[in-house]
Amino acid sequence: MTTDSRPPRCIACSIFRREIESLQASGALDLAVDYLPSMLHMAPDRLDARLTTSLTEAEAQGQKVLIAFGDCCGHMEDFRAKPGIDRTEGINCCEIILGREAYRRLRREGAFFLMPEWALAWRQVFMSQLGLLGSNAKTFMQEMHTRLIYLDTGIQPVPWQALNEASEYLGLPVEVLPVSLDPLLASLREAARSASHHDGQ
Amino acid sequence: MDRNYSRDLLKAIQKADRAGANAVVDAWAAGRSFHQVIPELLAPTLETFGKLWAQGSGGVSLATGYVASKVAEDVLSRLLLESASREAPALPAKGPVLVGNVEDDFHPLGRKMVAAFLRAAGWEVHDLGVDIGPEQFVDKAEETGARVIGASAMMFTTAKNVEKLREEIDRRGLRGRLQLAVGGAVFKLRPELVEAFGGDGTAASAAEAPALFERLWQQSLTFEPVSGEVRP
Repeated sequence: MTTDSRPPRCIACSIFRREIESLQASGALDLAVDYLPSMLHMAPDRLDARLTTSLTEAEAQGQKVLIAFGDCCGHMEDFRAKPGIDRTEGINCCEIILGREAYRRLRREGAFFLMPEWALAWRQVFMSQLGLLGSNAKTFMQEMHTRLIYLDTGIQPVPWQALNEASEYLGLPVEVLPVSLDPLLASLREAARSASHHDGQ
Repeated sequence: MDRNYSRDLLKAIQKADRAGANAVVDAWAAGRSFHQVIPELLAPTLETFGKLWAQGSGGVSLATGYVASKVAEDVLSRLLLESASREAPALPAKGPVLVGNVEDDFHPLGRKMVAAFLRAAGWEVHDLGVDIGPEQFVDKAEETGARVIGASAMMFTTAKNVEKLREEIDRRGLRGRLQLAVGGAVFKLRPELVEAFGGDGTAASAAEAPALFERLWQQSLTFEPVSGEVRP
């Protein structure tokens, strides 16, 4: 990969779109960003393929890349190990937003997180993608989790109607947890800095 | 024409219809000994289901896998109740074995399904839960006499922690005697990681875990017992 002074190209999960756009609008972040659909999280092999294509294109243009994703497909860490590429630190988008300790504590308590984009798309996630229909939805979620937590990044109004409908359908109480964009910004900046100086492992 | 109960049970599971699946089991059990339901109906049906699941075909989704494991639990619960009243063992005793999600892994579904299928196959399963460190796994194996650990991890990042479990097993001189089964989405996507991270084997679906554990248990028996252990 050639050395240049351009900032890395960012390939991000659309789960972060509004948050990244807000950081760009505030002047806190100066990156060109391409988004991949967050629903690819449900099809890791397809996410692998889409990222491979995007990274190959960037490599052909001699561009360094920041991947704003969690460890959401089988080869994510292999991508990260390549020269000129790095990734936001965290297992998934929720850990990237919350930070490791808060994420671990809440997961231990049985939390199921909803980022704003998925809160609005909850029917697609639970019914279409996971196939949780009828009584199976409640049985499943109540066995695996204790509550839903909406991560309110403050970019858009809390979608109370969608949250209440999801809570009723899944049989779990819902909480709203206001979160700062600072951990996401710090993670993006660190990955951008690292990608710029990363000559491979 | 005789009813094909196995086909009907499979269809109900593929529709994620738990009540419908239990109705098929009830219909099969009418006039038969319920004790035969696992070897004659449930096990062969789950074997077929497991193959479809492993191939990613036949309408298998997260919900259908979950319902299959709940049907296995339902059958086992009934069997245990009936056995208690007859004061006879429900199933031939196998095990003990352990299952748990490795350190930093908080995705319980696959592990819970594996535990359900193992129990329905007669295994004594100790389910340790999520985020289990290597010492916890091996301490519990030594305490219970387990010969197989089933370690679950969904992502590459957490699957790497299987390496720590491998190291702990080896550090205590238990390699071979204590077998390490690994599973989870990333191992299905990247089977080469099973060996790379020190696993002794994997199954392509939770429904195929009983066959894997049987193989690993037999493999374990070929190794010398550890000091003080009384071989069964």
